[in-house]
Amino acid sequence: MDAGTPALSVDGLGKQYGRQRVLESVSFSLRRGEVAALLGENGAGKSTMAKVLAGAISPDHGTVAVDGRPVTFASPRSALLQGISFMPQELIYVPRLTVAENICLGRLPGRLGSTSPRAIRRRAQDEAQTFDLDLPLDRSMDSLPLAQQQQVEILKALARRSRILLLDEPTAALSSRDSDQLLQLTTTLAARGVAVLYISHRLDEVFRVCDTAHVLRNGRLVSSSPVRDTSPREVIEHMLGRPPEEIDFSSEARPQSRPVLELTGWHRDRIPALRDVSLVVGEGEIVGLYGVRGSGAETIAETLGGLHADVTGGTVVSGRPLRHLSTPLAAHRAGISYVPADRKSQGLVAILPIVQSLSLAVLRSLTRLGVVRRRREAAAAAGLAEQVQLRARSLTQPVGELSGGNQQKVLVGSRLAAKPKVLVLQEPTRGVDVGARLELHRLLRALADEGTGQLLVTSDVEEAVGLSDRLLVVRDGRIVHEITHPTHASQPEALQAAGGPE
Amino acid sequence: MKTTTGAPVGDPAVGAPGAGPSPRRRLGLSEGALQTLLLFGFLVLVAAYFTSRDPDFLTSRNAVNILVNASVIGIVSLGQLFALVSGGFDLSVGGIVPLGGVGFALLVNADYGVLPAVVLVLAAGGVWGVVNGLLIAKARINPLIATLGTLSVTGGLALTLADGVQVPFVDVADGVLTRRQLFDVNNHVWIFLGLAVVVFLVLRYTSYGRQLYAVGGNKQAARLAGIRVDGVTVIVYVVSGALAALAGAVLASQLLTGSGTAGTNSGLQSITAVILGGAALSGGVGGVPGTVIGVLILGALANGMAILSVPSFYQTMATGAVLLVAVGISQFRSSRRAAS
Repeated sequence: MDAGTPALSVDGLGKQYGRQRVLESVSFSLRRGEVAALLGENGAGKSTMAKVLAGAISPDHGTVAVDGRPVTFASPRSALLQGISFMPQELIYVPRLTVAENICLGRLPGRLGSTSPRAIRRRAQDEAQTFDLDLPLDRSMDSLPLAQQQQVEILKALARRSRILLLDEPTAALSSRDSDQLLQLTTTLAARGVAVLYISHRLDEVFRVCDTAHVLRNGRLVSSSPVRDTSPREVIEHMLGRPPEEIDFSSEARPQSRPVLELTGWHRDRIPALRDVSLVVGEGEIVGLYGVRGSGAETIAETLGGLHADVTGGTVVSGRPLRHLSTPLAAHRAGISYVPADRKSQGLVAILPIVQSLSLAVLRSLTRLGVVRRRREAAAAAGLAEQVQLRARSLTQPVGELSGGNQQKVLVGSRLAAKPKVLVLQEPTRGVDVGARLELHRLLRALADEGTGQLLVTSDVEEAVGLSDRLLVVRDGRIVHEITHPTHASQPEALQAAGGPE
Repeated sequence: MKTTTGAPVGDPAVGAPGAGPSPRRRLGLSEGALQTLLLFGFLVLVAAYFTSRDPDFLTSRNAVNILVNASVIGIVSLGQLFALVSGGFDLSVGGIVPLGGVGFALLVNADYGVLPAVVLVLAAGGVWGVVNGLLIAKARINPLIATLGTLSVTGGLALTLADGVQVPFVDVADGVLTRRQLFDVNNHVWIFLGLAVVVFLVLRYTSYGRQLYAVGGNKQAARLAGIRVDGVTVIVYVVSGALAALAGAVLASQLLTGSGTAGTNSGLQSITAVILGGAALSGGVGGVPGTVIGVLILGALANGMAILSVPSFYQTMATGAVLLVAVGISQFRSSRRAAS
């Protein structure tokens, strides 16, 4: 390895949209075998940076050099030819082709346009063995879980002899076990000389696998330091531009409160199965439900949202037993408000204005003789927007134009509109920047203090221990562990119980 | 290459509204209003062109002519608007219009009286709408295929009822919808404009309208917000079917006969008008003002070409071309929406 020339160097990079500077004289370099983190809040310029490097957009100023040679990327394809591979959050693959075919896509073995399934499989097999990956090569790509799809995509990049790998929040939607595997793969690649630029919101991962941390704020690089010389606290401070506030929102011991939600003997045979799940959420209590993907924790949340009709067992809301919970409407009527995990596909109608998004779930109460009472609606929306501390240009703006954090606030606000007896939140801060996450956590805590019982279903262990008054750990469809008053020190305990790393 | 985010929108948390203010924002117009205005400009251009070729185009008599001829497709388009906003299609109008026309003529000839005949025709259209709605919402058949099926069934039914021939009104002087006029303008035009106002109010001010846009914009999110998506969808096709049947009755009154072959292309025309009016194929977008102007543009094109003695098959070709251009513009707009 030639220690002198960096694999990738970026010098004085600038990009402007209209009057807004998205990137301003950003310079950094990446050695071979180095794993560098690119950190920053949403809107700090991380995605723009990644897109410049991936050749999707061209910068206004500055240069990019690969192995010391200045390069210009006319297109994603030319970036690829220069040895840079970009793995976006939403993977791009051909769903119906097999894993082997996807790996070889674009450079199929054979000549004169003829190829054979066997040759393709052999080549894919070789590649997988080179990197010690065990992949079901003959299955179709869309039948794989996300974690394996990512591995295929990484292998595809490596098969093209990429020396520089850009990963955009690869673990955002992974369980902790899958995340660990991906991080492991990242370090393996680095050991073989691949330079990795890792974009992430998760500081714990950064501190586990990265050598260097670059922090962007408002388009400028505000700090670059080896991770061993810095701390998560310091990094957050750089990201926010101010010292972070205390993030532990779990409250003090709470007197036994009236139960608002009681589940007894919930059972489901279909995968993900549930086995005799019983739990109680009290008034003003935040009960955390932590589990890895497929553990059944999500299923409990979705069932409370009215999405699974095949769960049996008893459900009592505020002392009233429910006869059925088979549709979202039934859940609403019972006083359960459900905040789904995926705000884009399940939560919000992107083209609706904020006002209408906030009133959507309570239109009935704002309607007289079928006509929406607009003044009432506007007043209600304004109140909710203030309650969730929404930042928007105007309430008539389409909700899809907002940042992830503000969209999430609208989603939570729309569910609060119904004044629910119990609030069921699934991954309430997924893909949300640090600042908005803090605000959302503060909001949920304030709601609890006002008496709203909450069931917080999350696969983010930091959130689980930081926000819950009581934490239940779900594994293989059962509640296997309970931690009363979890603190940050409870993280290993929760991970252990959920079946995470020892 | 598809990436997760388009141009960075900036962080609204810092108060940056993205790139500089667009012209429409400076004018204080909503995007929809601007589009409607542009579309109206296009209508004026079309009118100006035909007037320059033949001054007879721009007379009040001809304007009424255009309106009368456009009112049939106009009524169908108002129903089609529901379907497109919901994210679907209603091709079956091409069968329900002739069915409504034949049915209306048969009922009037059987001395049911005009008003009861209209009510029965509306109900029949609504029933076919229920069929469409259930096929789409409950049986989960793609709207295109479901209504293609019912298009064929209703179209065949119209021909069967007419026994393969025309059903002329027995007593033309009596009862047909044309008899009375208001302000010298044919009642058909008033029916169309009146319905346009009603649909405008329903879409904009009722909770049903709100739910419809939400369902069209994101079905899953609407369902999770407690909206009865299936119910909303069934109503869409009931409205579309009933309006198409009414349009058939209006058409029969204009032709003075119920014909199993009149109005068979109203599916194509109404979809063209609604998309021209700004609706998106993906659903959740569209409105009455745009639709009405879209209908008038198609009407002006047909009328202008007739005045210039362009053969009618060229007009069919023109409608197809307009549809393709309108869809192209609509797709371009939604890709821009997705990028911002």
